Amino acid sequence: MWAYIVRRILLTIPTVLGIVLLTFVLFTLVSKDPARAYAGKQANETTLRAIRHKMGLDKKPFFDLEGAREKHSIKAFFDTQFFDLLFFRFPQSMRYEDSVWHLLKTKGPVSLAIQVPAFLILLGLELAIALYVANHRGKTADVLVTTISILGMSIPALSIYLAAQWFFGAQLQIFPVAGWEGGFYAIQFAALPILCVIFSQLGWGARFYRTVVLDELGSDYVRTARAKGLPQREVMLTHVLRNVMIPVVTNTVAALPFLLLGALVLEHLFQIPGMGELIVQSIFNEDRSVVMGLVYLTSIAYCIALLLSDILYSVVDPRVSLR
Amino acid sequence: MSMMAPSISVVPDSDVAEISRSLWGDAWKRLSRRPSAMICMGIVAVYLLVGLASFLPVFDRKIEQAVADGYQGPSFKSFDRLLGTDIQGFPVIWRLLYGTRVALLITIFASVLSLGIGVTLGIVAGYFGGWIDDIITWLFTTVSSVPWILLMIAMVYALKGRMFPWFVIENRRPHFAWAEMDPTVMIILALGLTDWVGICRLIRGEVLKHRERDYVQAARAAGVGTGRILSRHILPNVFHLVIISFSLGAVAYVQAEVVLTFLGLGITGRPSWGRMIDDAKLELLRGVWWQAVAATAAIGILCLALNLLGDALRDALDPRLRGAD
Repeated sequence: MWAYIVRRILLTIPTVLGIVLLTFVLFTLVSKDPARAYAGKQANETTLRAIRHKMGLDKKPFFDLEGAREKHSIKAFFDTQFFDLLFFRFPQSMRYEDSVWHLLKTKGPVSLAIQVPAFLILLGLELAIALYVANHRGKTADVLVTTISILGMSIPALSIYLAAQWFFGAQLQIFPVAGWEGGFYAIQFAALPILCVIFSQLGWGARFYRTVVLDELGSDYVRTARAKGLPQREVMLTHVLRNVMIPVVTNTVAALPFLLLGALVLEHLFQIPGMGELIVQSIFNEDRSVVMGLVYLTSIAYCIALLLSDILYSVVDPRVSLR
Repeated sequence: MSMMAPSISVVPDSDVAEISRSLWGDAWKRLSRRPSAMICMGIVAVYLLVGLASFLPVFDRKIEQAVADGYQGPSFKSFDRLLGTDIQGFPVIWRLLYGTRVALLITIFASVLSLGIGVTLGIVAGYFGGWIDDIITWLFTTVSSVPWILLMIAMVYALKGRMFPWFVIENRRPHFAWAEMDPTVMIILALGLTDWVGICRLIRGEVLKHRERDYVQAARAAGVGTGRILSRHILPNVFHLVIISFSLGAVAYVQAEVVLTFLGLGITGRPSWGRMIDDAKLELLRGVWWQAVAATAAIGILCLALNLLGDALRDALDPRLRGAD
C-alpha cells in the first residue's frame, strides 16, 4: 500500500508542472496583449506600461538572467511570470483592486452555501433511489427512473434552470427570482439554486449509482448473505450500502474542488456573487489575473483531490496496492 | 480463410444462419434488431438532412424577415408563424432551423478535430510505448486535470479578440487578411482541442492489447511497414470506439454551445440554439415561452436520440461491455 501511495504522489509532480505550463501557455503565450485588452484601444503607452507593471507582465517569461546579474541575487533569477504562477504569486485583480486569494476568501463561502447543501441532499437522494431501483430491477420504478434520467441528460441544464426559475420564482412566487443577501436570509435566495442543482443532476447520479449497486448485487457476499437467510432489507442496508460507500467516498473527494468553483451557469443566471460568477465577470472585464489564478488553482485542487481519492481508495480497498 | 478445407465451427447449428463475416455486418444486424436504435438513427438522419439544407441561402434571408411587430405566439395560420416570433418579429421556426447549421458545423468539425488528435496520439502512444507513451500519457493526464469547462473558457479567453490571418470575402474577391476569429470557429477550436483526452485514453488502452495480438505480429513478420500496420491493421480494429465516441461527443458539443453562448463566450451575430435559450432568460418572465421551448425541444430530441444511439452502438459494436448499462 505504501509503495503505491508514494508512487502515486510522485506521479502527481509532472502533472502539476504540466498544469502550470498549460495555464502559462494559454494565458501568456497564446493570449492577446492583456494590458491593451483591459485598457481599451485609446490607452497611451504610459498607461499601458503602468498596467503591464501592475499585471506583472513586465517581467521576463521564464528566467531573468539580467536581473539576477544586476541584483546579484538568485531570487531575482526566478522573479518571472512563470514562477509567479508556479508559486501562487498572482498579480492583483485589476477590477477589484484586490488579491486573488482575498477574492477567494470572500466569494468562496457564497458558492459553498449553495453547493454543499445541494451536494449532500443530492447524494442522499441518489443513493436512496439507486438502492430502491436496483432492488426492483425491470419494474415500473426502474424503467421510470432510467427513462427520466436519460431525458434529464439530454435536455440542457440551462433549460431546466430557466423552467424552475419561471415556475417557482415567477408563477408560484415561493422564492425570489434571482439575487443574493448575506447572513441568515441567504437561505431564501439559495433555495431555488439548490433545487435547480438537484433537478438537473439527480438523473445522472441515480443512473450512475444504480449501475454501482447492480454490480454489487451480483457479487458473492450478497449471495452468501441471502443464503444464510438475511432479510433483503438488511442485505441492502448493511452489506451492499457499505460496499457502495467506496465509490461514493472517492467520487465525493474528487468533486470537492467543483463545490468551491460553484456552477458557472447557475451563479450567472441567479446573479449569485460566488466563484463561478467571479470567473464569468472577470472574463467580461478582461481581468486576466483572476481568470488565470482561478483556472490554475482549481486545476491544482482537482489534481490533489484525485490524488487523495486514489490514496483513500487504496486504504479502503487493499486489493488496489497489488496492481 | 476460404482455402482451409474443413472449416471448424464452434457455433451451434441453430445459430449458423446468423454467422456473418464482418464486424460491421454483425453490428448492423444487432442494431437493426432494436427498433429504438433504428428510430434514433432516423431522427439523427433527419437532423443531418435539415442541417445540410440549412446552408441554402433562403435560410439566411428568412431569419431576417420580420413577420410581426414583436412577440407573437405560435399559430397554425402560416408556416412562418408556426412557432411564434421573437422580440424583433423574426420567425422562431426559421431561427430554429437555421440553428441546425451551427449545431452541425460545431459537432462535425469539433468531432473531427478531437477524434483526429485523440486517435492519432492514442494509437502512437499505445503502439510505440516507451518514452513516446510517457510523453503522451503525461499530456493527457495534464489536460484532463483541468476541469473541462474551465479549459474551454481559458481557450476562448485566449482566442477572443485576437487577430488571425483569415480568409475573407470582400466585394466577392476572396483574399487573406487579418481579422478576428469567427465565434463559430472559436467554439470549434475550444471544444476540439480540449475534448480529445477521453478517446485518446480509450484508444491507447485498446491498442496496447492489440499490439501483442497474432495478426499484428504476423503483419510485422511479413515486413509490413509501421505506418501501414497502424492505418490498415490496428485502426480498423479500434474504429468502433471512434463511432461510439462520436455519437456521445456530439451530445456534449451541442450542450457546450449552450453553456458557452450563455456565458457570453459563444455564438454572436447569427441564431443558434444556445442563443435562443439565452434570449429566453428574459422572455420567460414575460410569459414568452415559445422560443425557449422550441430550442430546448430541438436539443432535447437530438441529444436523446444520440444518447440512446450511443448506448445501442456500444452494445452492438463492443459486446464485452454489454450489460454494463
